[in-house]
Amino acid sequence: MNFQSEIHTVEDALAAQEYFHSRKWTDGLPIIPPTADLVKAHLEWAMLEPDSLIGVEPVRARPIIAEKLAINSVMAGCLPMHFPLVVTAWTAMLQDEFLLHGASSSTGGCAILSIINGPTRKELGMDGTFNALGASDRATMAIGRAIRLALYNLMDVRPGEVDRSTLGHPGKISYCVAEDEENTAWVPLSVERGSPDGASVVTVMSAGAPRQIMNEWTTEPEQILETFVAEIKASMLHYSIWSGNFAIVVPPQLRSHFEKANWSKADIRQFVFEKARVTRGDWASCGKGMVVDERGEEVFRALPSSDDLLVIAAGGPAGGFGAVIPPWFGWKSRAVTMAVGACVDCEA
Amino acid sequence: MSIKVFDPTYASGGAVFELAPRVTDLVGKTVGLISNGKRGTVQFFSAMEQQLLRDFGAGQVIIRTKANYSAPMEPEILAEASTWDVAFAGIGD
Repeated sequence: MNFQSEIHTVEDALAAQEYFHSRKWTDGLPIIPPTADLVKAHLEWAMLEPDSLIGVEPVRARPIIAEKLAINSVMAGCLPMHFPLVVTAWTAMLQDEFLLHGASSSTGGCAILSIINGPTRKELGMDGTFNALGASDRATMAIGRAIRLALYNLMDVRPGEVDRSTLGHPGKISYCVAEDEENTAWVPLSVERGSPDGASVVTVMSAGAPRQIMNEWTTEPEQILETFVAEIKASMLHYSIWSGNFAIVVPPQLRSHFEKANWSKADIRQFVFEKARVTRGDWASCGKGMVVDERGEEVFRALPSSDDLLVIAAGGPAGGFGAVIPPWFGWKSRAVTMAVGACVDCEA
Repeated sequence: MSIKVFDPTYASGGAVFELAPRVTDLVGKTVGLISNGKRGTVQFFSAMEQQLLRDFGAGQVIIRTKANYSAPMEPEILAEASTWDVAFAGIGD
């Protein structure tokens, strides 16, 4: 393989850590030194040449090639078999509607959430059960970190450089979850969003930190969803009122109540779409009365349509918990779903 | 035994643009202000417009606002900017 990256010589793997840290090539955690044989193995697994074009970042017009993604993937701790998901996530992130530059540079401080569906989850040992949102397994942790490290090194999205986040959140280290398709009768998120059943698929979303909810005192779907809706409304009032893609994560204990009542994901999406709305005047309840002005009755929905709620089955078996994951900033960045191996901009 | 590692950063392959010629003053010049459109920019750019006219002798000040403050300016603004002597582009929050 013909690589174009500059080569550096270091004493050993330990010396490589300081070499990379001192150049701000890593996120504060150790890296696997990206040697030619490891990078080559990543590319071969994904059947990509070093100069294969993954996409062009539209704002800064930066072409992203497979070689550079593979280097960052190796550094993050990925195995070669993880690399196709990193490639797919980045291909999705480079679509215009994702607005990667805004999402990765904004003071709002969101992270790139990747949601994985399909058979690849089991092949890679991804686990959407226990600790689903907090480093549940090697593959989700490494893939999420690879996505972020590539932002560091390919788009200069380092704190204080292109990353202008005021606070950020811990998901910026790694933010990846595999849907727990085996323990639910619900259709996978990827299928809801138009991908073929049985395909391995990545959905990316510019996402704030998860906001955990709890309701263990009812089995009624409507009441459970009222708790999720209350958290969505809180995010709208306390953070950003603009509508966009929200995600909700529903673990098995709460899921069982929906499934017993024959509530599908589509039913949930419709309920949340109808209920999750606030008025501009509600801002006065949380210290933002100064910006209500004369439009206090104006209604803001969390979701432009019911299709814009991402319902994810994930989490450990016990506990009446769930999570709301808000968008970075309303509709400025839209979630993108892409199948592994999908051809973008191909001739028909 | 030493090891060889790859540079993980973006390699641009060289500069793709060069800086426009600098001006020595603003007297009589057409100055454009490209606002990102955030609420807090309205007063700031208005005050800046007055200062450019009053204190720096600018011939005229043109303010244009992007539709999406997280995205690049629209092609129409970029085309118009090419007719200005000076353009200010930045962020306001």
